[in-house]
Amino acid sequence: MKQFLKDIFRFFQRDLRIASTYRSPFIFEAIEALFGAALFYYVALFVDSPALREALPQGKTYFAYSLVGFVFFDYVNAAVDTFDRSLLEARDAGTLEPLLVTQVSLPVILIGSALYPFAATSLRIAVYLGWATAFFGFPLGGANWISVLAVLLSTLLAFSGLGVLSAAHLLLFKRGNPAKWLLLGISSVAGGMLFPVNILPPWLQVIAHLNPVTYALEAMRRALLDGARISSIGRPLLVLLAFGAALLPCSVLVFSWVLRRTKITGTLTHR
Amino acid sequence: MRTAGVYFLATRIVYVPRHAIYSKVSDSAILLDSLEKWFPPALSGWRTFLQPFAPPTSPALRGISLEVKQGEAVALLGVNGAGKTTLLRILATLLLPTRGTASLAGHDTEREPEAVRRELGYHAGSDLGFYPRLTGRQNLFFFGRLNHLSDQFCAARIRALSERFGLQGGLDRQVRALSSGTIQRLSLLRALLHQPKVLLLDEPTRSLDALAAADFRNFLKAEVMARQGTSLLFASHTMQEIELLAHRVAILHEGSLLAFDTPVALRARTSSPSLEEAFARITGRRLHSAGESEPS
Repeated sequence: MKQFLKDIFRFFQRDLRIASTYRSPFIFEAIEALFGAALFYYVALFVDSPALREALPQGKTYFAYSLVGFVFFDYVNAAVDTFDRSLLEARDAGTLEPLLVTQVSLPVILIGSALYPFAATSLRIAVYLGWATAFFGFPLGGANWISVLAVLLSTLLAFSGLGVLSAAHLLLFKRGNPAKWLLLGISSVAGGMLFPVNILPPWLQVIAHLNPVTYALEAMRRALLDGARISSIGRPLLVLLAFGAALLPCSVLVFSWVLRRTKITGTLTHR
Repeated sequence: MRTAGVYFLATRIVYVPRHAIYSKVSDSAILLDSLEKWFPPALSGWRTFLQPFAPPTSPALRGISLEVKQGEAVALLGVNGAGKTTLLRILATLLLPTRGTASLAGHDTEREPEAVRRELGYHAGSDLGFYPRLTGRQNLFFFGRLNHLSDQFCAARIRALSERFGLQGGLDRQVRALSSGTIQRLSLLRALLHQPKVLLLDEPTRSLDALAAADFRNFLKAEVMARQGTSLLFASHTMQEIELLAHRVAILHEGSLLAFDTPVALRARTSSPSLEEAFARITGRRLHSAGESEPS
């Protein structure tokens, strides 16, 4: 376990070093986050009404509701996208082959390479929320940070299985990320990102209730905006953990099979 | 004698797979037993979706059996597509054999890939494989740590090897600013960093200038093989390199092993004045004389 943690830390260290050679993107992303927060604030000013506030299940204003949905959706996106992106980068840069002859396994390479993107996404979310709180009155004061952390970790576990399946798909077919298209495509409509799912037609509401993103966003809004304790967001957390518990072992099995298959067909490092 | 007895008893009392026996008693650095590798054909159009499941129909290696002894250097010689790189990639655990077995330092490449990777240093012959935004030293440290080397050991090895390879100037510059020859040297240094028992090198001096190539060959012979007893399996098209380094030469042609002997014996067997000519005769190719190819 100690060696595993050491190994994945090496990848974090590597990505941090590479990122530090590009200095300006940090500043530009921080400025972009300020404009992003401003955009949500003014859209909310435009559409906000007592009727809308009444309709929102969590959050007191549409600004808070939509901003949490938007920035936290980025986290779900990172969980689904990161594994196959890191594999793609290693393959295209030609580093995959040298990595595969070291003493770390491909799953360790994938997990290690996912650490920095997760940390960077968390930082981006923090910057967004920081700007929103400082300039636009985002109600961050009531957040329950232990619950926020629990929701972040559960979301990571829940969606990493899909990320591993995407990496397996990439190894096998060399292009595309169907998990991203499917989950993020459906979730942008039936996931409660910018509007509550109860305004959707009944058949889409059924999809929304089967969609783990709906539970992740619900739990995050309640933890961040209502200051909900872990016990009071137990149901969405359990759904997320159950989703992860079912999907992660399956995805690891599929990935192992695909890895073996590509070593048989000789396409492991093919583009 | 005692090992032979154990082998005799083991094979008669209870079925023991041959790879298991080899891994216990063999002192070979590399052992290939009837090794075959077949690849599926490249599909196009809508059939691309079936590519991962296509049955293998194109042979790349056909029934290769050979042994590289500890401390021995063996060259793989063959035209492009002969199977040299496929063979090296199987030994590096990047490919699985279709039939037969391959073992390295007593470990089966298919069943014990982690143990195999502990013992090997691999150089793929390309000048890719490094992070361009990191310096040479940062890259080497990263790969050294993934091979579970301590920072002190890594630093000492990088210092010693970079001095030997004349790489000190390139170590603290970003890899994207280095020439392909320097990156090639960096890649060779990476393969040697953890003092592997077996070195697998695919065209090790391809991008090196003549002096650097000669220096590297001398280093391999004097330091790596003679002093450390490292075994070497390398693919090369440079006869001079093969004659200098290889104790024996394996001539591959269309996936088959046509000959496996010392350079002297190969020349004698074919009554050839040079290894190049011996290679041409064994593979049934004709070498053009200088006069034949000159324009009139």
